[in-house]
Amino acid sequence: MKEKTLVADIDRAFYDFRYDEDEKNFLESGITPEIIREISAEKGDPEWMTEFRLHSLDVYNRLKMPQWGPDISGLDMDRIVAYIRPQKRMQSDWNSVPDDIKETFEKLGIPQAERESLAGVGAQYDSELVYHNVRREVAESGVVYTDLESAMHDERYAELIRSHFMKLVPPTDHKFAALHGAVWSGGSFVYVPAGVHLEIPLQSYFRLNAKGAGQFEHTLIIVEENAYLHFIEGCSAPKYYEASLHAGCVELYVGKNATLRYSTIENWSKNMYNLNTKRAAVEEGGKVEWVSGSFGSHVSYLYPMSILNGRGARAEFTGITFAGEGQNLDTGAKIVHNAPETSSYMNTRSISKSGGISTFRSSVVISENAVGSKSAVSCESLMLDSVSRSDTIPSMVIKTDKADVGHEARIGRISDEAVFYLMSRGLDENSAKALIVSGFAENVSKELPLEYAAEMNNLINIEMKGSIG
Amino acid sequence: MSKLNILPLPTFNRLGVNFTERDTAFETETISVPEGSERQIIQFRETDCETSVTVGKGARLNLVQVFTGRCASVLKTTVADNAQFGLIQLYLGGDNVSEIITELSGYRSGFTAEIGYDLGYGDVLDLNLVADHYGRRSTSEITADGILRANAQKTFKGTIDFKNGSSGAKGSEKEDVILLNESVVNRTVPVILCAEEDVEGSHGATIGRIDEQHIYYMRSRGIPEEQIYEMITRARLERIIKKTGDKDTQKRIYSILGWGDDDE
Amino acid sequence: MSELLKITALKVAAEEKEILHGVDLAISAGETHVIMGPNGAGKSTLGAAIMGSPEYTVTGGSIVFDGADITSETPDKRAKHGIFLSFQNPTEIPGITLSSFLRSAYEQVTGEHIKLFAFRKKLQEAMDVLQMDKAYADRELNVGFSGGEKKKAEILQLLVLRPELAILDETDSGLDVDAVKTVSAGIKAYKEQTGGSLLIITHNTKILEALNVDKTHIIADGRIAAEGGAELIDEVTANGFDKFI
Repeated sequence: MKEKTLVADIDRAFYDFRYDEDEKNFLESGITPEIIREISAEKGDPEWMTEFRLHSLDVYNRLKMPQWGPDISGLDMDRIVAYIRPQKRMQSDWNSVPDDIKETFEKLGIPQAERESLAGVGAQYDSELVYHNVRREVAESGVVYTDLESAMHDERYAELIRSHFMKLVPPTDHKFAALHGAVWSGGSFVYVPAGVHLEIPLQSYFRLNAKGAGQFEHTLIIVEENAYLHFIEGCSAPKYYEASLHAGCVELYVGKNATLRYSTIENWSKNMYNLNTKRAAVEEGGKVEWVSGSFGSHVSYLYPMSILNGRGARAEFTGITFAGEGQNLDTGAKIVHNAPETSSYMNTRSISKSGGISTFRSSVVISENAVGSKSAVSCESLMLDSVSRSDTIPSMVIKTDKADVGHEARIGRISDEAVFYLMSRGLDENSAKALIVSGFAENVSKELPLEYAAEMNNLINIEMKGSIG
Repeated sequence: MSKLNILPLPTFNRLGVNFTERDTAFETETISVPEGSERQIIQFRETDCETSVTVGKGARLNLVQVFTGRCASVLKTTVADNAQFGLIQLYLGGDNVSEIITELSGYRSGFTAEIGYDLGYGDVLDLNLVADHYGRRSTSEITADGILRANAQKTFKGTIDFKNGSSGAKGSEKEDVILLNESVVNRTVPVILCAEEDVEGSHGATIGRIDEQHIYYMRSRGIPEEQIYEMITRARLERIIKKTGDKDTQKRIYSILGWGDDDE
Repeated sequence: MSELLKITALKVAAEEKEILHGVDLAISAGETHVIMGPNGAGKSTLGAAIMGSPEYTVTGGSIVFDGADITSETPDKRAKHGIFLSFQNPTEIPGITLSSFLRSAYEQVTGEHIKLFAFRKKLQEAMDVLQMDKAYADRELNVGFSGGEKKKAEILQLLVLRPELAILDETDSGLDVDAVKTVSAGIKAYKEQTGGSLLIITHNTKILEALNVDKTHIIADGRIAAEGGAELIDEVTANGFDKFI
């Protein structure tokens, strides 16, 4: 048996442990230009970044809350503490990480995971990256994997970051993008040079530990021409009774003929408002592959967007959403075809149970110049009882005749025959249903590395356990 | 200006599909099909009209509506136990805003909609169809077949809404659109809303060019490309026109479309 | 020399992969040629390239038909020149009936208008040869047809359109004994009625029994590996393709 027991005996309580915060480290609630200046000074931001934050705050104050999607009135913005100062600066040696933080990560199996199969791990504990390491051979190939803040101060990357930071997701995009621009903190910077093919995935593990705190990490990945990267992002947070907010931002730049696979299994605690923005721009012949599992949070708005800017660029989105009790998960994807002969493929599953609401929402836009482009969308929903909801709202906007767009969707329940068949072979009803639901999630699990697929199946089993039928 | 064709659940504002605005001058009209009876009604619509329809228990209504000009239409129907509402709508040009709300309130109530459109230069169509399933074992079957030419713009929003309690209900929706000019704009929003476990819902859409394989096969028999387009687009509408089941109506539609007699 | 079809050094690629690496083939008016070869050798590719399929790109060489270079002609122009391809997997075209489709094709190929009644009579005669149910005329083209029905519908089109050259791509594959008989009778009728040329792609000899084969070509790995008369068919039947690969 592997040392990483996380997979084998995962349960909800496991994610719910926490440590007491030292209250004096909190900045005052609410967001003012003074707070922004304080954060900025604390971080030693370059001047352009301080200006950027203040500008974003201004945009934030002017924009309205989203007028569509799930209710987020339970989110009291003034009470979200924007920033928690870390007790220690970033460590690159695991042994010097503070004990309570280390214990949290030990419990999550992070260092083991790193040793076992991952090329590099960035773990974010609250707002600062406390531990960061990249395997030596990966670093030697010229791959940069570090925290964004250090990179911003490194003259080798400073200009690269300035020219890419929030260029794909401008603060004006929506209210929470603006908030992110103002208070962002922590996150990863990855640079894969031209022609480098990283065989093993890079991984980042985010956790939100402080009560009532927001997490605003920024991930910036640049994959140059003909390079390949698989980046895995895992998220979990322990449970608190006060509403918490996650408004992260992911910006992916995929170069000519490059491929970037971005996998996420998200299991935020069930009081989290997850208002995350993810976007990729893909150049000629390049490809972005999103693999996304959404299990946690109270409310989610999550629609990774792919902008296909170069001829022949491709996007693939494979996703699953499981909405259980008290959850309203609004997820999907957006694709913009902006160049000739681009193609996209979307395959999603959603499951609703015990009063959970899952909404699949998508948009595919084929612009005037995207001649010869193709898009196919397939979504399936499973209703496990009649107190839940499942809504599907796809949209397709096509502005050229030289395109082929296909869409199919299906909604239904677990078939009685399938349950009967499995039961006739000796499975009890709950196990039979759990097995069928796992099979339903196979579109995503087959795209994940083994240990993540196993973790996802465990999450499904926990959700299914004992409460059906 | 009033807001029309409001999408039952709003989506991304930037797509411009959540509603449409229009000045309207609605007349009202009521159609009531008594229990157990059967009626066929054919209408050529040119003015704004709000129509309220009730289809009584076990009754059947076949309603054919043909739109050729500029009008706003709202068609609200309730369908009782074991009743059937068959709707055929054809949009042959113009600038139309049309809403179809069908409440399947009865046990085993049924709704079929066959929608065809052939839109050309300057034509605009905004269509919002909602099938509300309340009744147990209620069914809906929605198909839309269309052709967009020149700079035609079309939005088709089709919603199947399975309300809590509509157990055993089935709904399907399918739209096929042929695009024939680079200046067309097509918007398709096929929505399924569901608050009931025991239902089956599906939707599908295909939007784009005529299948290259079809063109090759027909060309290999000597038929030139332009004629293939003509044959295929005509066949799409003809399928729906024939379902009106009324020779005079068919003739009138053919003459609007400028189609000659097939026999000579 | 009355060469109807002359293919010279033909190279054909699909999705940038070359499948035919320089094929020469000549068919004179009235001749019957057979193409045999192992799976994946490029037999169907040759047929499709002669018809002008968009799936394939001619990367070298030429196709001359009736003295005209048709190498880059569209499929409908080739059909008007008198070429017909019986598809291995005929395409299903919803919404258009077999009758109205074939009437349009007939008018295009012959260049003359035909009244509906006259056309239906002509169609009926051809259907009788193939023992096809009348109802097929008003069914959507190939939609929901069984494999055998599709093949019969191809031969029906052959009989109505009366081309100078008919290419039959695996017309006999997947058919039961009775269907092979019917289809063979149709091909024989075409030959008798028009005296046209045939290029038959097959790996089954049943369909050839009623025909006088003038020449046999073996294609292996995108090249003509051997050529001969009807006797070559017997040799392949007895010994397979091994000696040609």
